[in-house]
Order: sequence, then C-alpha cells, then structure tokens
Amino acid sequence: MKVIKKEDLDDFVDELIAKDEREVVGVKSKDSKYVFDKLGKAEELELEYDVTILPPKKYFMPQRETLVEYETREGIEMKAVNEVVPRIIIGIHPYDLESIKQMDKVFADSPEDGNYLEKREKSILIGVNMQQFSEWSFAGSMGTATIEDGYDLMLTDLGDRYAVEIGSSKGRELLEEGSLKIRDAEPEEIEEVEKIEENIQDEFEKELDFSPRNLPWLLAEEYGDEDFWEENAEDCYSCGTCNIVCPTCYCFDVQDFNDISLEEGERMRQWDGCMLEAFAEVAGGENFREERAERYRHRFMRKGRYLYNRFGDIACVGCGRCASQCVPDIADPTNIFNKLWSDKDE
Amino acid sequence: MKPEERPKVAFFDFAGCEGDQLQIANLEEKILDLLNIVEVVSFREVMTEHSDDYDVAFIEGSITDTHNEERLKEIRENAEVLVAIGACATIGGINSIRNVQNFEKVQDRVYGDKRDHYEAWEKAKPAKAVVEVDYEVHGCPIDRDEFLHVVQSLVMGREPHIPDHPVCVECKLNENVCAFERDEFCVGPVTRAGCDSCCVNEGTICWGCRGMIDNPNEEAHEEVLEEYGLTVEEVIKKFDLYFAWQKEVREDE
Repeated sequence: MKVIKKEDLDDFVDELIAKDEREVVGVKSKDSKYVFDKLGKAEELELEYDVTILPPKKYFMPQRETLVEYETREGIEMKAVNEVVPRIIIGIHPYDLESIKQMDKVFADSPEDGNYLEKREKSILIGVNMQQFSEWSFAGSMGTATIEDGYDLMLTDLGDRYAVEIGSSKGRELLEEGSLKIRDAEPEEIEEVEKIEENIQDEFEKELDFSPRNLPWLLAEEYGDEDFWEENAEDCYSCGTCNIVCPTCYCFDVQDFNDISLEEGERMRQWDGCMLEAFAEVAGGENFREERAERYRHRFMRKGRYLYNRFGDIACVGCGRCASQCVPDIADPTNIFNKLWSDKDE
Repeated sequence: MKPEERPKVAFFDFAGCEGDQLQIANLEEKILDLLNIVEVVSFREVMTEHSDDYDVAFIEGSITDTHNEERLKEIRENAEVLVAIGACATIGGINSIRNVQNFEKVQDRVYGDKRDHYEAWEKAKPAKAVVEVDYEVHGCPIDRDEFLHVVQSLVMGREPHIPDHPVCVECKLNENVCAFERDEFCVGPVTRAGCDSCCVNEGTICWGCRGMIDNPNEEAHEEVLEEYGLTVEEVIKKFDLYFAWQKEVREDE
C-alpha cells in the first residue's frame, strides 16, 4: 500500500489530463446528483459521493454504439466499427467494480464481444472506498461494500492523504508515469484503511434479511406465486429505468439506420431493457412476456437466479440505483427479496 | 435512384400551426438529399405548384369539422400511403384540449359573436379517427431526423422504427436528473420516446407531445402524481395538454 497527499493527487490528475493520451474521466456533480464525465481539471473530481446516475459500464458498452458501417454504391461494402477511446476512470465504488468484474465474464463468454472487451482492456480503473452512502444502497448485504480486486488502483481517504492500493501492473505503471510524490504506507495507515473498510459495512440503511446465497433457491421457489408478482408490478410503468441504471444489465437492441441518401448507413446497438413491453416481442408479433408482472418478475429472476446459473454471480451488487430512480417506488430489491423470504414458508 | 422512380409526395395542412411542415422546410442541406428520393408535387408552405397526382400524402393538423373530414377522405382516396405528421395529426394535439372543455365557451372565445358562422366539431380528432393512417411521425413539432427516417423507410419498403416505450428510457440514457428528483412533475413515464428526451435534456420536463405509448400505465402515474402532491385537478391538466383525445378513446375501450 502507498500513500499520497491530497494536493499531490490533484497535481497528478492534472498532469494526466494535460499529458496522458488517454481521456481522464471521473465522478462530477450534476445538479443534486453525480455522474461519470470527462474531467477538465482535477478540482472537478468529487470523490465523496453517494452514487452516480449511470454506472461506469457506459465506457465499455456505450448507450448507443455503431457496430457496422455499410455502403451500397457498388455492391454492398461493410466495415466493422469499434470506436475505442482509452480512458482512465477515477472514483469507482467497490459495488461498481464488482459489476465490471461480472460484465467482463459476460462479454468474454462465447461469442466474445470485441466492442466491449477492447474498450475495457484499454481502460484503467481507479476505485475509491465509499464515504457517502445512498439511502437505497444495500452493498453491505451483497458483499460489495468493499472489494479485494477488480481495480488497477484503489483509493481510501485518510483526511489529508489517500491510501493507494495497487491492484494490477497497469495500476503500478500509471503510478510510475509522471512526477508522482508517493511513499509506502506505514503500519498505522494500513490499520486505518482496514478499520475504515470494516466500518463501511455498517453504513447501509437497507439490508437483506438473509444471505444472498439463498436467492437462486428462493426465486425458483417463489417463481409461481403469480399473485405476488402481479400485486407488486401493478404500478410499474414498464419504463425500463431500473434496467438502464443497473450496472449488471447488458441487453441491447440492434437496428440498421440508413442515411437519407439510401447509399450508406450504420448498424447501431442501443441499451435495451427487459421491462420494456417490446423487449420480448419477436417477428410476427408474438410477445413472450406480454404482461407487466411477467416482465417485472423476470428482472428479479435474472438478477438473483438466471445469471447465477450461467456465470456463478448474484447479478445484483446492491448499489440501489434501480430503487432510487423508480418513480412509483416499486423496484427496491431488498423490499421484494425480503418479502419473498418472509413468505417462503406460506 | 433515377429521378422518374421517385415517389410523388404532397403535403396538406388541417387545424394546426404548420410547425411540422416548417421543420421539413428547415431541413437545410438535407432537403436536397430528400429531393433525391422523393418528388414533391404539392407543398403550399414552400412552393406555388400543386398537383393531385401523388403517391404519398403527409397530413399535418387535426380534423375539426366536416369540411376537413371530406377533404381528408379525398386525399386518402388519392394517396397510396398516408402519413400523419405532428401531434395534431397523430393524437389530436393541443387542439384536443377543447375536447374536455365547454364547447360553447370555446366557440365564444374563438369566434365571439360570429360563432354561428362557423361549423366546428365539438371535439378535435387526429387523422386516424377519420381515415386509415399508414404511418405516424409524432411530436410537437416533429423531429426532422425521425421524419427523414420515416421517408427513407417507406421509399425502401421497410417498417420505420418508432419506439413504443416511455421517454424515461432516453432520459436515463442521457443521464438526466429525473424531474421528480428536482421537485418537478412530468408525463415522460407514459409518453412515447423518440425525441431523445430533448426537453428534459434542456432542464425542463416532458409535456407529452408525442402522445401516450400504446399501453401506458396512466392510472399508476396519476396516483404517483397525487402522491407527489399534485391535486386531482392539476393531475388532469397535466394529462389534458396533449392526451385528451387519447384518454377518451382509452376510456371508451
């Protein structure tokens, strides 16, 4: 573990912005909320934040992305496109780092998604331990309040200094770049970081009443309780907000957009969401999840069971974004999971 | 595309502000690309020539009297494809605010003591309430790129891609702070996307100009708006700016 003074970290970030060929992005405030965005200078960086509107996933899988460009002037010519902007991303909370670890598995699964993997490969992830807590977060229950790996560098605020944990050779190389004033952490500082990480676990207002390891079993058990799902989905707008803000939702829709010349066009992908009515509609008009309640149930099944069965991860990291941004307030996983847990014996 | 292969298109306006045709007139350099794939034979706002020989008719404005109805039916007869453009033509638009008001008062306000000189329907209707409509370009005004997308889709014989999900999708993709978290109220959760949440991107709210999605949860949204402190009357007003005709149709179903 290393230690750097706060003003020296600011200088380092400013130096990266000025000299590093990669784009430097970090957490910035947007009205009363926070977002990951390009940094113009180090002082814009807000490392004491609760949660960002969208997770940093957008840098590896942009909201809208061109996959293919084509033209039809002489026959059909197509070109695969991957617009890669190498980035240094500063200020990622542990639950988001966990979600990136999960997404790395998903996109590396066959067939590999080159558009994601190349962007991910060319990014540097600088994490930060949480200092503010969304009232909707339950990262403590999901084991994602702190993290052992998945970052290149990890910061912990020690008042006038940051402790810096090195997580990879990419992280070490970054520290060797430029004129960074950094030293080894002393035993008291290491102990302080450990104490901070221990205390973070108790900071969450929301929690699961049981171990998340029970989720795959519980959801299989309660899948058929249609009254339960209908009752809870009654106020659902099918607006997809819970999908779009989720760090482990990765579904997308692909469409071709022709230019008005009719001689060229682009094949684009855009984030999609299983809560949207047209999501499971196929050619011919059949819709496999026509009812709100079916779609609503599907999201929870996906988070707590389906992805576990495929990749071995509970695909909810407890960030609370879905719960906090759902206007009718029906998306809170702790509410649904705890209700299912207490109903399980009935 | 050879010039003689281009479909002939005509523009017609009914009760409306012609703002949608203005969007098309304002396509700037893209208007030349548009003219490479269609031949415009009638467009009162930008040209003096007129012909009744057309393949595609674009209809702007809502249908508000029998004269309108007859004219629209004639256009439908002439056209192979009929496209409604703009909120007035697709959902009745703000003309349909009158649908929920006292009609005599509305007539007084508009025509004063001459009100008997004008035949007008009590309710404004979108084109599809009168004739079969093949495609719709929503919005108040329409989005120019979406208009071009629809035109090129129909020239190619493809189904245009018009979203049927709420504006919330685009609002979140654009990482806006939700209006409800700014102590404001919007109808984005029941309104059809496709505008790239342009109003909220600029810091305001969604007024619903693209109309409700096909299957909105308006009951839930009315409850939510009330929970957020709006009175029943205010909630109704939120929904009546653009949705009056759509709401009535849904209630009748």
